[in-house]
Amino acid sequence: MNRKRKRRERVIEWTTGQIPRNAKRDCGAGRETMGETESTNQHQQWQPLATCNEEKDFLVSGRLVFVRDKGAAQTPESLSPAPVVATASSRQHLDGDGKLLGFPVIPDPKVLERRSDLEQPPLVLSLEELARHSIEGLDYSAAMDQLADLGPEGRIVLYYRKGKLFRHEVFEDPRVCKDVERGAVVHNLEQKAQDVSGWRVHEFYIDSKGCLGEICTRCVRVCPESAIHLRGDGATSFCEIDPAACKGCFICWVECTRKAADCITIDGKVFDSQLRAAHFGE
Amino acid sequence: MRRSLAGNAAAAWGFRLSRVQCYPYYPITPSTSCSEQVADWAGNGEMETVVINVESEHSAASAVIASAKSVRAGTATSSKGLLYMVEVLENASGASLPFTIFVGNRATGAPINIWGDNSDAYAVRDTGFIQLFCADGQEALDNIIQAYRIGENMAVRQPVFVNLRGFTGTHTYEPVEIPTAAEVDAFLPPHVPLEPLFAPERPVTYNPMLSAYYYRRHKRNQTEALRNVISIAEKVGTEFGERLGRTYRNFEWIGDPRAELVVALMGESSGAAETIVSALQGRESIPGLAVLRIRLFNPFPAREIAHALHRAGTKAIVVLDEGLAHGDVFPPLALRLSSALQAHLGSAVPQLASVIGGLGGSEIRPEHFQTLFNLAANMAQQRPYRREPYWLDIEEDPILLQDEQKVNPKLWRRYGEVWKNQPILPQYHAALPSTNYEIRLYGRAGQGAITSAVYFTSAGVENGFWVLTKPTFGSERRGAVVHTDTLVQTNGRGRTRSFTGRLDLVCIFDDTILTSPGHAPARDLKPGGTVVVNTVRYSPQRIRELLQLTDSATTVYVVPASRIARELQLGSFYNMVMLGAMHRACPFLDFEAAMNFYERNVPKPKEANQEAIRRGYLETTERETALPEPPPPDERAEAYFQWRPEEESLEEKILRSLEIYHGS
Repeated sequence: MNRKRKRRERVIEWTTGQIPRNAKRDCGAGRETMGETESTNQHQQWQPLATCNEEKDFLVSGRLVFVRDKGAAQTPESLSPAPVVATASSRQHLDGDGKLLGFPVIPDPKVLERRSDLEQPPLVLSLEELARHSIEGLDYSAAMDQLADLGPEGRIVLYYRKGKLFRHEVFEDPRVCKDVERGAVVHNLEQKAQDVSGWRVHEFYIDSKGCLGEICTRCVRVCPESAIHLRGDGATSFCEIDPAACKGCFICWVECTRKAADCITIDGKVFDSQLRAAHFGE
Repeated sequence: MRRSLAGNAAAAWGFRLSRVQCYPYYPITPSTSCSEQVADWAGNGEMETVVINVESEHSAASAVIASAKSVRAGTATSSKGLLYMVEVLENASGASLPFTIFVGNRATGAPINIWGDNSDAYAVRDTGFIQLFCADGQEALDNIIQAYRIGENMAVRQPVFVNLRGFTGTHTYEPVEIPTAAEVDAFLPPHVPLEPLFAPERPVTYNPMLSAYYYRRHKRNQTEALRNVISIAEKVGTEFGERLGRTYRNFEWIGDPRAELVVALMGESSGAAETIVSALQGRESIPGLAVLRIRLFNPFPAREIAHALHRAGTKAIVVLDEGLAHGDVFPPLALRLSSALQAHLGSAVPQLASVIGGLGGSEIRPEHFQTLFNLAANMAQQRPYRREPYWLDIEEDPILLQDEQKVNPKLWRRYGEVWKNQPILPQYHAALPSTNYEIRLYGRAGQGAITSAVYFTSAGVENGFWVLTKPTFGSERRGAVVHTDTLVQTNGRGRTRSFTGRLDLVCIFDDTILTSPGHAPARDLKPGGTVVVNTVRYSPQRIRELLQLTDSATTVYVVPASRIARELQLGSFYNMVMLGAMHRACPFLDFEAAMNFYERNVPKPKEANQEAIRRGYLETTERETALPEPPPPDERAEAYFQWRPEEESLEEKILRSLEIYHGS
């Protein structure tokens, strides 16, 4: 029970965007000084490089190199998106090509900011739908006129960034067949489930006891057939697979936060390594 | 800001000004330097983009498609690289993803050929991409910016190819007007991802499996979106003109608006065609002429072109394709035009002939268009002509018959009657007045002849001249004879890109080229032209003999460029000396004005190179130059050149191999 609560706490941290206390630090995620616990964790990533340099130590993690004074207890305080962080003190160690240990150096690395704009799909509205909205920053009369000129196929796309209207464009919907989305994409949460049960060769079932319910819903989001639905709310919520809509693609199993070991069963069995090997031909 | 740029660099500026956020690429000739320039800017922080060095063009296409779902993306490729992308390209158009691929058009072989033609673009014409064709570097820059505006339009949302002919387009240095970032930002709004990949509140699946019912309905939608491009590209081109002063149409009608005879083509070759139209227009016994230059190849503006031809009252149209469609009725452009005319004009359709030319880097010169307009004139007079494609520059299969003996007998049986009824009309083949000053630099690969020409061009551009340089590129090894052509427009109008091949000035960087078998550097020299040679061995008189220059009006200069470079501690880098010598012989670019540019831009060591240019200018003479002190003999080099393998014993061979092994 205690184990389960701990696991839930950890998932909450992930889903709310906070970095879990014991999780590996993502590149550019933050610049806070690391505590002892984190430092211990980082030592698993940062390997000291054997060097004859008498002044500097080099710590390497993947393609990232951190330079510090010899013997200093300093740890990588921040990681840049650049392959190498060239600090003022490390520049003297650049070779003729401006490289450090063979890695390219970017002199003024910038920390990657979280791209919130990539999480905000634009709104596409018709004239009638626009009339029902109140949108700050939009010249309504001009937009309405343009939409009216285009007739029933007229649409306006409204793109928001940081909560404010960033851009809009009036256009005529090029689709002839309106039941197919632009680019034939499937909106996983909006897709009306179709009976594709005939495609399936295994029966998929989510064990409600193992499922994390509303604090996860990862399988709901990734299911390309919109075949998984959240039932209930709060601590008792769980996800359920619609057997008519499930085509048996295994994506929910692969993406399951619980690693599916005790959550998603296949043909009534835990999908263990043996079953997995048989299925994927590993 | 006007600068001298190669076509690839101009394309890179297009990506930079469009604020491309992701640029995955895999290098391939001749578009490599576009991607290298973008990577360079990304590396030094001048361009905020993520450059991904992928392991193949297939990966580049996959990565650009993936990134285009969320950000503005682009890449560049050519030839086989583009063909390697084909497998995934339809995922982009099918998923309605706008991004731009710059294509340095190149032959697709086999056999291997790295030079320009449209085969690669033609091979991908059914991938659903919008295709724009450019005539020069300026158009490449402008079209890439417009490509994002067209492709990202909400009524379109489709990917775009921007095509520029390999080498003669991608590697030609010419004046390019670079708009400011503010001007482009005002024209091209920021990218809006319609269905971003990383939107957890609205997760989306791209390219799901669709049954026949949904699949055909989606494809109907896709073709409708592509069709919208025809009107939107026209509007975008007009708005671009209003904002930046260069208007673009889906196709351009150059010449007489009531032209009876029309040559239709795409891309860079239009420069030579326009030269001919302006030269022949209005001459006696020649009806109205025009060039129909098509920018938007896909979707093809069929109705608009057919109506334009009908309005003009065109009687005959010759279509030049710089690529093939093996086994088809016509190559792609002729096929599309033919279909367009049949579909939209019915019985009023003008006569149409197809010509294949420019394959694998074959040059398309102004005189070719004299032949094509002659052919069109014969067709307009209802003379018989071929219903299969003609070919340019195949002596055994000419367009107009000049020498029956050269014609392939099999073809004579097939087309003999057609040839006999196709007269050569002299009014179309009159000698053309030269409006250019043309310079050819001969050097050995590695000597820097191209660099000299590029500096000369850049200085000319800065001083307000229309100058362009077209280097030769290919499989030449270091030391092989290469040349580069530079054109200075002297009549002060238009923007000609058409070389006549008749030279005013020939600069020879290495006097061994004078005696090199297979090279006749002064063969194309105009009467009264000038030759400049880097030599201390030969007198001007001896050079005249070696080059068989019988015209007394020809001027021969000599310059001891190698000696000057050695004296200035420049080693064997004497291209800056030859640059000064070029100025001495060329009357069109003031030396002191050009020096202002060189002082700021010559490579290191700056003082020595500036001095080299000045001395090259001052010491270029028509008189014989004094022979220098003979250098002390290099015993090691002498031994090397005297050595013959047959004179070496086995024991000596073993000893020599041991020496090499030990690095001595």
